[in-house]
Amino acid sequence: MDLELNDDQIDLRDNVRAVLARECPASVVRGVYESTGDASALRKQMVELGWPALGIPEEYGGLGMGFVEVGILAEELGRVSAPTPLLATVSQFVPLLVEVLRSAPTSKTGELLSEVATGARTGSLALAEKGRWSPDSVNTTASGEGDSVTVTGTKTDVLAGAEVDSFAVVARPTGPAHPADADRSDGLGVYLVERADAEVTASKVIDPALGLADVSFDRAPAKPLLTGDADGEIARAVEQAVVAMALHTVGACRRIFEVTLEYAKVREQYDRKIGSFQALKHRFADMYLAVEKANAICYFAALAVAEDDPRRREACHVAKVASGDCQSLLAEEGLQLHGGIGYTWENDLHFLLKRAKVADVLCGSASWHRARLADLLGLTVEVAP
Amino acid sequence: MKLRFDEGTEAFRAEFLQWLELNRPSVEEMADDPARSSGHSPGWTRAWTRRMFDSGWLVPGWPPHLGGRNAGPLETLVYLEELNRAEVPRTTNPQGLGIVAPSLVDYGTEEQVEQYAMGLLRGELTACLGMSEPDAGSDLASLKTRAVIDGDRFVINGQKVWTSGAGYADFCFLFCRTDPDAPKHRGISIVLLPLNTEGVTVRPLREIIHPDYPDLSEVFLDDVVVPVSNLVGELNDGWKMAGGSLAHERSMVWLMSVMGVESAMAELLETAPGMMASLSPREQVIAADDIVGFYVETQCARALGYRGFARFVKGGNAPEQALMKMYASELRRELGRVTAQWHGGGALAVSEGRRSSLGLIEDYFATFGSTISAGSSEIQRNIIAERILNLPRG
Repeated sequence: MDLELNDDQIDLRDNVRAVLARECPASVVRGVYESTGDASALRKQMVELGWPALGIPEEYGGLGMGFVEVGILAEELGRVSAPTPLLATVSQFVPLLVEVLRSAPTSKTGELLSEVATGARTGSLALAEKGRWSPDSVNTTASGEGDSVTVTGTKTDVLAGAEVDSFAVVARPTGPAHPADADRSDGLGVYLVERADAEVTASKVIDPALGLADVSFDRAPAKPLLTGDADGEIARAVEQAVVAMALHTVGACRRIFEVTLEYAKVREQYDRKIGSFQALKHRFADMYLAVEKANAICYFAALAVAEDDPRRREACHVAKVASGDCQSLLAEEGLQLHGGIGYTWENDLHFLLKRAKVADVLCGSASWHRARLADLLGLTVEVAP
Repeated sequence: MKLRFDEGTEAFRAEFLQWLELNRPSVEEMADDPARSSGHSPGWTRAWTRRMFDSGWLVPGWPPHLGGRNAGPLETLVYLEELNRAEVPRTTNPQGLGIVAPSLVDYGTEEQVEQYAMGLLRGELTACLGMSEPDAGSDLASLKTRAVIDGDRFVINGQKVWTSGAGYADFCFLFCRTDPDAPKHRGISIVLLPLNTEGVTVRPLREIIHPDYPDLSEVFLDDVVVPVSNLVGELNDGWKMAGGSLAHERSMVWLMSVMGVESAMAELLETAPGMMASLSPREQVIAADDIVGFYVETQCARALGYRGFARFVKGGNAPEQALMKMYASELRRELGRVTAQWHGGGALAVSEGRRSSLGLIEDYFATFGSTISAGSSEIQRNIIAERILNLPRG
């Protein structure tokens, strides 16, 4: 067992990190927060570098990399609290399309992936409803047949929902199943809806750089990608979204750790660097442990997904819990050790604090995943009749 | 990154498992005559150590004449995994096999290797480490036990404390001051001291759990005489060697602590359904939340340990190894606390005999030593902050 990134993966991480340090300094994020700039140059650069194509199979114009590589990208985007729909596209939209394609190879899904690979299309996963991130909570319905399928319902907390071109919508089919999927009559389906056909309400949330939105469909025209009984495919895609969001959280946390550590080495009080006080040293040791252990378990989960190991489902829940716990400690201690300066809008720290917190909440909070783990471990409470 | 070990490593594992099945000590013989301290080796341990030595399974990474088979670190890892899974102790004298023997092989004279190191490896001797003193705990380098050269002998006076296994061990790997005028790290030497030497008094320190079977001892040294040929390495070079000795253990010791946490977690999960059945729904929710929280930590500890090991094998920096001591020992303690939480007075029971299954609160209290010994959690945090994160000393 080898839980360390290999040389190619380390190269990828270093390249992505160098590009983002150059193209996405805090001033770009601030521009989005203060509505004084947009991140279009950054987005163009990402497409030119082929990042949207990272996890797409080569036969559809992608780079054919595995899920660990997708995780690396998600982590590095968190590190700079990047304002981009790329996270949604590579960690939610593409994984679901690839899972769908594996079960039902159609030219339609393949074409969508090819468009994503060239940067011509961005997308996101429309799963959560009423703030609940779970296929069990889906009430959105799909009806009609063939070319006249429509979707009706409201999705919440859609990542980059205000910005992407299309949504992979998880909905419950009503009425007869699509003829091509005659043997897949029950359960959930996956439908493609263009943003122009949906009512998108950008959410006013604490991190405006993620483009979160609520998305309503009122008999919106939809292309069925997998109708009925797609629960397995959806679950596998959801696992990837969860691990990527966990790594995104940890990426932001690691940066909080680094800037706080740098600050403690220069800030002086009582004629000493504050980092020389043991009360702070011990807290830095605890923060360091929190970041390293969350990072290690997140990559274990990414690897379990990449290798399709039986432990993948459990590992995803564990990773999201660990990243959420890491987030609580790093947000609180990171700001505390900055002192008042960290509490000011002018300091860049808050972009990271907010990204980490939002990423903890999205795709199921640490507490929600704890509850799922209790189910998996057989600790579920039996309710008396 | 990969989740599986390569075929060669798995073949090595299979070979060891086959040998282990045929040669392991039986559950009965281990239970009938348990080791009374980390310096005690009952008959079955001596025979078991000897069998491993003769077959090259005692220290797999070493050459055959030292009880090994030139195995690589990955192979050593799976070997330790399997011993743990089989619930067979590799040794009942871990400081002897893990620290003293490798230090002697690295720094000892030919005679010292033959007499002391080979004695440990063949299961004929056990050793203890004489490091801490009443006024030298975390600040170990300020130790005062004095060894004065008088012709061809050392005359030693002083006191050691917290010496694990001294009550049964055959000899002590003794740290003493040989140059009181040098800076404190530069005046320390290591001397091999047979514990039956005149002037050595070992007094057991009764511990909070099982006071009748103490592992820790005080060692008093009054005009103790040993030949200068018992000096290990160069005079006044002891502190540097201490760093080297402990590094031997550090690359693998994380695995033991992770496995300790994992088996405690496995036991908790095993007993959880029965425990849950006696709780109300609201109590079950709280109990489940505790268990899940520690399950996550256990998985984190495992991932962190294995990642650090992968870095170590590739020859890179592995800061994980500095984190694991503090993390795993604190985690193990918290697990002990949570495990005992829902059993009412049943958790308070005192068990009979050492190392048979401890009562739940006993088990919890028994973990309190590991956040103190071998560098307290506070010292670990200082090390992490100053040596890894480069925060200024002060």
